[in-house]
Amino acid sequence: MQQRNDATGTQGPGLGWRINKLLQLDAMNLVILVIAVYIIWSVISALIDNPARYLPSPIAVAMSSVDMLYKGLLPSYFGDTLVRLIFGSAIGLILGIPFGLLLGINRTVADMFHPIMNFFQSVSGIAIFPIIVVWWGNSDKTIFAVILYTAFFPIAFNVLSGVREIPIRYISAARTLGASRYQIIKDVLFPGAMPHIATGSRLSIGFAWRAVIAGEMLAGRQGLGWMIFTGQDADNTAEVILGMVMIGVTWIILDHYLLRPMEADTIERWGLVQR
Amino acid sequence: MTAKLVVEGLSHHYPDEYTGIDVHALDDISLEVEEGELVSVVGPSGCGKSTLLNILAGLLPYRVGTATVDGIRIEGPGPDRGVVFQEHAILPWRTVNKNIGHGLEIKRMPRDQIAKRVQEFVNLVGLAGFEDKYPHELSGGMKQRCAVARTLCADPVIMLMDEPFAAVDAQTRITLQEELNRIAMATKKTILFITHSVDEAAFLADRCFVFSARPGRLKAIVDINIPRGDRIWSDMNANADFLAARDEILKLVREEVSVATEE
Repeated sequence: MQQRNDATGTQGPGLGWRINKLLQLDAMNLVILVIAVYIIWSVISALIDNPARYLPSPIAVAMSSVDMLYKGLLPSYFGDTLVRLIFGSAIGLILGIPFGLLLGINRTVADMFHPIMNFFQSVSGIAIFPIIVVWWGNSDKTIFAVILYTAFFPIAFNVLSGVREIPIRYISAARTLGASRYQIIKDVLFPGAMPHIATGSRLSIGFAWRAVIAGEMLAGRQGLGWMIFTGQDADNTAEVILGMVMIGVTWIILDHYLLRPMEADTIERWGLVQR
Repeated sequence: MTAKLVVEGLSHHYPDEYTGIDVHALDDISLEVEEGELVSVVGPSGCGKSTLLNILAGLLPYRVGTATVDGIRIEGPGPDRGVVFQEHAILPWRTVNKNIGHGLEIKRMPRDQIAKRVQEFVNLVGLAGFEDKYPHELSGGMKQRCAVARTLCADPVIMLMDEPFAAVDAQTRITLQEELNRIAMATKKTILFITHSVDEAAFLADRCFVFSARPGRLKAIVDINIPRGDRIWSDMNANADFLAARDEILKLVREEVSVATEE
């Protein structure tokens, strides 16, 4: 558990401590893991026929990344994908959190919307892709719509459930202190729904990440998804694997440097979850 | 002395949450609480104590009878009536300081004034040194002290307490009762204290309202004339006034419990 620094009276640990903590990605474990994966991968690659087609060695993949870096394709594809993810999921969260909160306030409204939200939450982004293509063709607009859709429902649905699960006594306590409806939303419902907001954000961003890749493949635009797809077409398996690695590594970095610290500063600090 | 809280002819029915059968919780309750007085309400479980508190808190609408604070009819919750709940109802995402100052924040008092007043109440309930802790870092007793401070800090006309010490261990309960006595002495706050513990009711109250088994009626009022300064648990076994009051309340409550079990 984090301890506050009583001497300075500051809230929580200092920025330097925090950055240090973030950089400790359990360095030794990571090194061992990478070496193990490298060895197993290299061995399998060396044993099979035609590795360039079926499983290029790590070195071949690394070479392909150097090649793509040199041509400027990798940064450009990666940038496109990341921008799509950030805009799509940010707007999804910005719209989804207040939507879920507002629905959650009134029980009748919440009960009415619950099955509708549940329905849309289950129809994945990839399942609505065809109809969006019918509307807007293979365009950036189509990809963006699918990402937004994918990010919106998990967060809105989770926030809705989160608000419903806040103990009534917290709301009663605020009411007896004279809190207005707005103050109850700000001081009780929003922080009270934080565990669900955190879970929902993680789901939303995770699903959005998948939707970006799928969207780029199907709608045939630039980006990592497109890179994987064209890599397969061009029989360039190293490029396909490079794309896969980039996707996974990006997620791990997002999770470790953005999502986990957010949770540690809110719901863990408040004792709402135990780890 | 003026009556701060006046209840007249208050009755309440409600359908049971699961069976839908009509529950007659309160029957023609009339009582008054004077300024600066600490009254306790005691009775067998299901006698409508909590229903009464919820009505007074404004959390439960009522139709029959009237309840007024300073002459104003109770219509919903308001900062004139502070409530200390049985379960831990301080907000887990606020530090001790932020919880205690919440009522003032809601009133939009300037920050520096809030900080000053909060510190006063932190000291009053003995939470100095824990100002920046979150509730999950506090013991059960400390959480309830924080809840009491939160209520008092908002300066209500009357503090309503719903079995606030029922969930803590016996030793802590005794300490909290002595502290509440001290706080009542220091702040002269008007307090209505609901409990099912006869000892607690007799120890804390200037007057004790004994309720009958369901439907809850005001069965008797027991006066307890012990100066606040003399109310220390270690002296109570030798205090004739306390023992007499306790035995009388116990007798009244026992009659009701036997009525309830015979039914």
